[in-house]
Amino acid sequence: MLRTEINELLTQTGPGTRMGDLFRQYWMPALLAEELPENDCAPVRVKILSERLLAFRDSDGRYGLIDEFCAHRGVSLWFGRNEESGIRCAYHGWKYDVTGQCVEVPSEPETGNFCANVKLRAYPLVKVGDILWTYLGDPAQQPPLPEFEFVRVPDEQTYTSKRWQECNWLQALEGGIDSSHVTFLHSGQLNSDPLFKGSKGNDYNKGDLKPFFEVADTDGGLLIAARRNAEEGEYYWRVTPWVMPSFTMVPPRGDHPVHGHIWVPIDDENCWVYTFDYHPVRPLTDDELSHMHAGYGVHSENVPGTYRPMANKDNDYLMDREAQRRGEQFSGVKGIAIQDASLQESMGPIVDRTKERLVATDTGIIKARQKLRKAALALAEQGVTPPGVDPEHHRVRSAAIVLPHEQPFQEGVAEAVVARPGVAQTTV
Amino acid sequence: MPKVVYVGSDGVASAVDAVVGESVMVAATKNGVPGIVGECGGNASCGTCHVWVRAPYFEQVGPPGEDLEEDLLDLGVSDRRCNSRLSCQIQVTDDLDGLTVDVPAEQP
Repeated sequence: MLRTEINELLTQTGPGTRMGDLFRQYWMPALLAEELPENDCAPVRVKILSERLLAFRDSDGRYGLIDEFCAHRGVSLWFGRNEESGIRCAYHGWKYDVTGQCVEVPSEPETGNFCANVKLRAYPLVKVGDILWTYLGDPAQQPPLPEFEFVRVPDEQTYTSKRWQECNWLQALEGGIDSSHVTFLHSGQLNSDPLFKGSKGNDYNKGDLKPFFEVADTDGGLLIAARRNAEEGEYYWRVTPWVMPSFTMVPPRGDHPVHGHIWVPIDDENCWVYTFDYHPVRPLTDDELSHMHAGYGVHSENVPGTYRPMANKDNDYLMDREAQRRGEQFSGVKGIAIQDASLQESMGPIVDRTKERLVATDTGIIKARQKLRKAALALAEQGVTPPGVDPEHHRVRSAAIVLPHEQPFQEGVAEAVVARPGVAQTTV
Repeated sequence: MPKVVYVGSDGVASAVDAVVGESVMVAATKNGVPGIVGECGGNASCGTCHVWVRAPYFEQVGPPGEDLEEDLLDLGVSDRRCNSRLSCQIQVTDDLDGLTVDVPAEQP
């Protein structure tokens, strides 16, 4: 459905591309706070929007995100020593602080002022919730910090994991706004997953396999609503907010914690999936947390010490044909996250969208592409700040709700889709 | 029955007797007119029933009414022109008797 040039526009996010410029308007997750657990800990290589950077936490607890490579002759500073408020290159001892400023070149005479003129590219790195966020755009345009509810509730109410996905960010995002695949790909999970099972909404989900989709514009993105039959005269609505460019939230089930994702381009053929789970009004229970750590719900079980899932494309995602035959999993792949990853990666690193055949359930995808394209062009041509930059746009929630047939969903969920501190989610 | 004429990129015209109330896409697919696919069944979701509406009918038919049609014409079709429409969103009426549309060589 998509013309080649628009597919390229939407999928390329490196420096100097139009979608890259769009992403550079937003605060984005650069890494999890747990990756820099203490002062002077090991630095971490971070690739984001095709830029290769190094994150470190200095002796005073300041976070830095600087060019990965030494200004001298281009070796990676990842091999360096994080000591005495700076990262020191392992090659010739050049040292940089968290602003990228070179503060010492040991081989040069102390009287000289050589290092004052050496500064690496550097970006802000700020902890909000469990995430270290960065902003790669023009410092003069830097927006206020993110206000998504999952990073603003108390620590004991929220958990975030991440995993590496080996495909372009857009096909991962499109999975997040396409609720119609849940009925098939994830059907096995509604009954069995400890983070999903036992809600009335699950019965409605399973009782109506042909949901009808409606999409409504919001200031920050879209609301994508799936409508299914509930009791006589009523519909069961599952409403997913998308906040530009890549935040989505899955509608809740019962009193389970609510989850969602942020997809961050690593380069054009890889992305990070940040997955969060939080409860607006209560701490997560030990059981819930241990299930999240174990890869239940929408989280993944990763290779220890890495953020690569144990089930990945090198082992065919540990696909189990027998489990597929028995109907435990629709695709034979275990776990919602890996079910999504396996199929989205199977499309190839950047899917050729000129060949796809879209249907009525793809309305959310069509609308999202159009909003992204228009925002990228408006930014490039008129400097218009895109939707989703203003933190006001972050204060959204997903909702699951039963409404009478005659009530339009936008009206019925108007309050439910606003994040309100201290107020529980609207759920069925 | 109003007549609808579809002109292919090779210049070959197919004339169809259409039923009032059905869409220009359905009238084409029912009668096997080449070049109109209508993959999504008329939901303005796939963009495979794109046509260029000839004068003077375009004035009667008007521009896209639905957001989604506008999006699909923007994103999907190979050659959007000022008279582009998705034929699934044009309803056949008696007044449109003689409606003539050009069918692109390729649907997305």
